[in-house]
Amino acid sequence: MAVCTIHTSTQSLNSRCSLYTPTKTHLGFNQRQVVFYSKRGSSSSSKRGSSSVITCSAGGDSQTIVIGLAADSGCGKSTFMRRLTSVFGGAAEPPKGGNPDSNTLISDTTTVICLDDYHSLDRTGRKVNGVTALDPRANNFDLMYEQVKAIKDGVAVDKPIYNHVTGLLDPPELIKPPKILVIEGLHPMYDERVRDLLDFSIYLDISNEVKFAWKIQRDMAERGHSLESIKASIEARKPDFDAYIDPQKQYADTVIEVLPTQLIPDDNEGKVLRVKLIMKEGVKHFSPVYLFDEGSTISWIPCGRKLTCSYPGIKFAYGPDTYFDHEVSVLEMDGQFDRLDELIYVESHLSNISTKFYGEVTQQMLKHADFPGSNNGTGLFQTIVGLKIRDLFEQLIATKQAAPVEATKA
Amino acid sequence: MRATVTVHNHNQERRNLTVKATGVAKFKGTYMREKQLTEMIQQKVSEAKQVCTSDECKVAWDEVEEVSQAKADLMLKLQKQDPLEFFCQDNPETDECCIYED
Repeated sequence: MAVCTIHTSTQSLNSRCSLYTPTKTHLGFNQRQVVFYSKRGSSSSSKRGSSSVITCSAGGDSQTIVIGLAADSGCGKSTFMRRLTSVFGGAAEPPKGGNPDSNTLISDTTTVICLDDYHSLDRTGRKVNGVTALDPRANNFDLMYEQVKAIKDGVAVDKPIYNHVTGLLDPPELIKPPKILVIEGLHPMYDERVRDLLDFSIYLDISNEVKFAWKIQRDMAERGHSLESIKASIEARKPDFDAYIDPQKQYADTVIEVLPTQLIPDDNEGKVLRVKLIMKEGVKHFSPVYLFDEGSTISWIPCGRKLTCSYPGIKFAYGPDTYFDHEVSVLEMDGQFDRLDELIYVESHLSNISTKFYGEVTQQMLKHADFPGSNNGTGLFQTIVGLKIRDLFEQLIATKQAAPVEATKA
Repeated sequence: MRATVTVHNHNQERRNLTVKATGVAKFKGTYMREKQLTEMIQQKVSEAKQVCTSDECKVAWDEVEEVSQAKADLMLKLQKQDPLEFFCQDNPETDECCIYED
């Protein structure tokens, strides 16, 4: 059953009608549009042609919600993505039978698209033009907008593939509209049109010290790398990062900020982390997580008589704040979990975490105990954000199902 | 008769900074990708060190970042399964899908 939205630019559809269905456009879209041309009667003719456009979404009963995730940690394989797709059920895998170097991940409910696929310049092109991948000039935002919009409207698209091994743009792959579309990469919120398509957006804000520590872990085993080269790479990319990527955080519904711990003086190993979950107030279908008493300021150390923690322990903070002129609520965790009972204890004191049963957060964390961040705030907050998105999805579906056919006047 | 080795990892604790659990490439195509990325990292790091005049510098280091991340992603995937597994089921005759033996 197709769901159709009728846009009319005239008062009513008149008797003389003709309709046609255009075939594939040159951009590889599978569009199905039905256009009615009506001839107006004796009344004063309008300067504009009177036409109505009926757009039918192929999906019918299913609607696609779009989540944007800004992260500088590669595409679709990040821990956050794996946790997110696990919350919705199933594991996200690369599409079978297609390009083996595809960046896309697909599960039963979710499709994760890597925004690098919208590079307008391949590696050679960027070198020739002197631009990094962070630069908007290396990316085709028109195509990004058109395709994300099409998928959201229930239309499958042929999306390009950027091959990270060869540095070339490979032939496109077909993306069918899923229930949940996640667009992950450097610029999900850069273009205003794309931003407006997002039902929810997250920015992963890693501080420089932590970024350095993580990249050391990633690269030190490589023969080509040294501490100096890792540092040089981060510093050389910083100006473009600060100019083009960082400003997106003001638009995000939620920012996960990862900082070095304050529990260990002069710690520079980046293993114990202080993580802040900055949640915008007033976002539709999103109620921020809180500790004890919503809107108040709380400082909480769960370790004590009821709970024994090992060094350096766990410390929580919660309170209202302002972030880029927005009202926000901030939940912060410093330290790490060493045992299961610490995790469940903390979970039982958090509110608005949108779990379906007691212990769901703990269960999800245990399921992926081997993922990085499973013992600290990054894993905890990524899991909670996953549950909040599930909640948002269910609320949106319930709202949309209440009004399947709308007639709007242009 | 087959010998079976079972490893119990009691100490799933803090990993050493530079030691990572890695899988081994099953198909030639994956081995070639791994080798290519390793060589590219070395090559691009040395290029970047030489070419450091304004815009060229940041592009060179951005390339280093790109291939470093690509290799890390490949190794992560390899821990579970050779990334070419499904492709090679459908295309066993291609060069990429020769079984790789060290």
